[in-house]
Amino acid sequence: MRLLKAIVTLLLAGLLAAGCGQQRILEKLGFIQATGYDLPSEQEREKGRELLVTINVPKADPQGKMKLETLSASVKSSKEARIEFARQTELSLVSGQLRNTLYGVSLAKIGFMNHIDTLVRDPSISQLVKVSVVNGSAHDLLIKRYPEHPNTGQYVDRLLEKESISMAIPRITVYDFTRDYYDDGIDPIAPILKQNAKNIAVDGIALFHNDQYKTRIEPDKTLIFAIIRQNFKYGEMSINLAEDKGEEGQVIFSSVINHRKIRVTREQTDRFSVVIEIVTRGSVHEYTGNLKLSDDADRKKVESLIAGHIEREAGDMLVLMQKNKVDSIGIGQYVRNSMSYSEWKKLNWEEVYPRISIACKAKVIIQDYGKFK
Amino acid sequence: MSLFKRVRHGKNKPIGQPDKPDVLPSLQQTLDEFKDCIDLVHRTMPEIQVEFVYFGHLVGSDPFTREIAVPFSSISADEVPSLLARTQYVETQSAKHLIKEILDGAVAIFYGGKCYVVNVYKPDNRSIEQSETEAVITGPHDSFIETAEVNLSLIRQRVKSSHLKVMKYEVGEVTKTDVYVLYIDRITNMGYVRELSRRIQNIEIDAVHDGNMLVQYIDDHPNSVFPLFPTTERTDAAVSKLVSGRVLAIVDGSPSVISAPASFFEFFSSPDDYYQRWMLGTATRLLRFSAFIITIAFTALYVSVTTFHYEMIPEDLLLTLTESRSRVPFPPIYEALLLETTIELLREAGARLPTKIGQTIGIVGGIVIGQAAVQAGLTSNILIIAVASSAIASFVIPSYVMSASIRLIRFALIILAGMLGNMGLIMGMALVVIHLSGLTSLQSSYLTPVAPGRFKDWRDVFIRAPFWMLKERPTQSKSPNEMKNKMKE
Repeated sequence: MRLLKAIVTLLLAGLLAAGCGQQRILEKLGFIQATGYDLPSEQEREKGRELLVTINVPKADPQGKMKLETLSASVKSSKEARIEFARQTELSLVSGQLRNTLYGVSLAKIGFMNHIDTLVRDPSISQLVKVSVVNGSAHDLLIKRYPEHPNTGQYVDRLLEKESISMAIPRITVYDFTRDYYDDGIDPIAPILKQNAKNIAVDGIALFHNDQYKTRIEPDKTLIFAIIRQNFKYGEMSINLAEDKGEEGQVIFSSVINHRKIRVTREQTDRFSVVIEIVTRGSVHEYTGNLKLSDDADRKKVESLIAGHIEREAGDMLVLMQKNKVDSIGIGQYVRNSMSYSEWKKLNWEEVYPRISIACKAKVIIQDYGKFK
Repeated sequence: MSLFKRVRHGKNKPIGQPDKPDVLPSLQQTLDEFKDCIDLVHRTMPEIQVEFVYFGHLVGSDPFTREIAVPFSSISADEVPSLLARTQYVETQSAKHLIKEILDGAVAIFYGGKCYVVNVYKPDNRSIEQSETEAVITGPHDSFIETAEVNLSLIRQRVKSSHLKVMKYEVGEVTKTDVYVLYIDRITNMGYVRELSRRIQNIEIDAVHDGNMLVQYIDDHPNSVFPLFPTTERTDAAVSKLVSGRVLAIVDGSPSVISAPASFFEFFSSPDDYYQRWMLGTATRLLRFSAFIITIAFTALYVSVTTFHYEMIPEDLLLTLTESRSRVPFPPIYEALLLETTIELLREAGARLPTKIGQTIGIVGGIVIGQAAVQAGLTSNILIIAVASSAIASFVIPSYVMSASIRLIRFALIILAGMLGNMGLIMGMALVVIHLSGLTSLQSSYLTPVAPGRFKDWRDVFIRAPFWMLKERPTQSKSPNEMKNKMKE
């Protein structure tokens, strides 16, 4: 009897609960892979439509060919966009496979935290969705078809993923962005994408104050930015020694392992002196100068030249950041750690930051320089 | 009436006719008893006034010549009493006993109103061959056959110890099948021996045909899907169970030898785990446990993921999966049940057919159904992979009975997964675990050594640790003699 009861209860529970979970059968779904947010054109904005949303939905094709559906709508809010998109497609759109979210630069200047917020709240959206800024319009970037790259969403995702492995750009996810946004000791950053005639390219790093885009790091300086921002285990940079006095030649400094330390000394209540100590190890893959890398003294010289280059570039970058009042490398966190929380609360960091003195000390170690002497 | 109730092996009165009063045996009465049995042989030697009654096909020609033909044909009438005084000729006072002896292959000797029996039983049996259901690559290849005495001798050959004790019971009102209970004195816990013997004695049926059938009469939980006592055809497996403190039961007429008590995990170990280096043995054992999970859950996972949890699919698989699903006209649950049923049909058909035709089944199943079903758009090719790998995984489990039970559970999980997604799958698995933990085998927990936790046993259950680490007999045996080896590291 107990078995019978168990079976009946199970069947009943199953039958009754079967209606509860919404079935989402695979082939009836449209997976949003990338979303783009922009400010719409003037005319649209006059009608009260504040947002231009674009989505990328890859579709399966029985012939195995890649098909991509791109939908876009000018709407009042991102919720309205869902209704608008539903009207345009036969698939039920789901956002559980979202990988990328792109923001046009015009929107980024105003701030887009309320759009990130919806991503954080939806439980089906991963916190690992990548955030990036488009230098131009996200709508145009997503709507264009790139013949060599049939699936735009995947293309962008893999591009960002690969570039972040070599530290050319930071890997910024929804989680990272929100964390840095709510942390008062650091300002968020995001990679910038640019639409070229035939492809998409990474175009530096956007620096934010709160959620507003302020300034950017040029694409050729991104590794310097990475060196002062974090420890990492793999990177590559190219240095033109001719820029410095004395020597000539080009160095490709590769397999970079970076350790950085930030030391904060408080000179007065609102005067701080910050030293960023950097130790960078790596291999020289290419060197076109006249010095002999196998010679200890010469190698030391090249090391100090590279260190000098890093220090100068980093110094310029820090000046730029201070000028724009963006604390993108998180000096505020170290300042906060050097004092009590009540003192930190009293300190107006945003005011103080542009005035602190930041010095950068780099030490470069060339570990390998190849077979030739 | 509770279906899940533990069957109590009570001491009921035997059914059948009331006992006839026992009488002294006589020739006429014996012949009357075997009336119409034309295979009964009745020989007379008038010169010495001796009569023999026996079944010709039950007696062996060698022992018959030695015990009957030669001695009785070479003596005169007055020498008969002294000949019958030899110990092999046992005088019997009971007619019932006499009939039983004749049925057991004895020759009944009637002389001067007295009756003697001499056992010359030598039945026909097939030769000892390799087990087909439990084949191993390395290790002994002999296996039990249908004759209990040969099976006993196979065990005695391997355990040359006076501590190996054998008890004999009779089961089956009509068939009177012999059931031997074997244990090793001072290693086996006598509680288990008594319990198993009691259960065997209390069975009330007309016939027992196989060890796997007898097992179900002495089961703690006859309504469970899971077999509670492992049966084996392999002599080395049987002996290893014996030595680790289990009780064995040999059923005459069946090559399957029962061992008790057992844990669920015992069904996943195979003798060749011990014949290979321990790392390999460990790897294979872990493989079998993963096969268990694959068998019960892989197809169900496919169903739940494609019906409810598209978020779980890796990006690169998403489009191929959607593409192959997009041509299937059924929801994933019907698709999966359809294919699973087909696989079960194939398996059952393959088991019934002789090997030569069996190969055709493989081709029909593998190519025609597998390939064509995808092309016809009846199933998605990912499902074919899921179903095939769970079918293959089910054959990895060494015990056939266990693997069949597990395959049945799979269907329930698929249905649950189709209705409730991953939650249903987890609910189903939880129910299986709850059920398993309620089971007992000969009144000891079926989930030992997990529940109750006996962690030192794990090194011979989930892995196969090197022999120097396996110093003690399994705790489930409750052996009075726990140490089995004194090997140092």
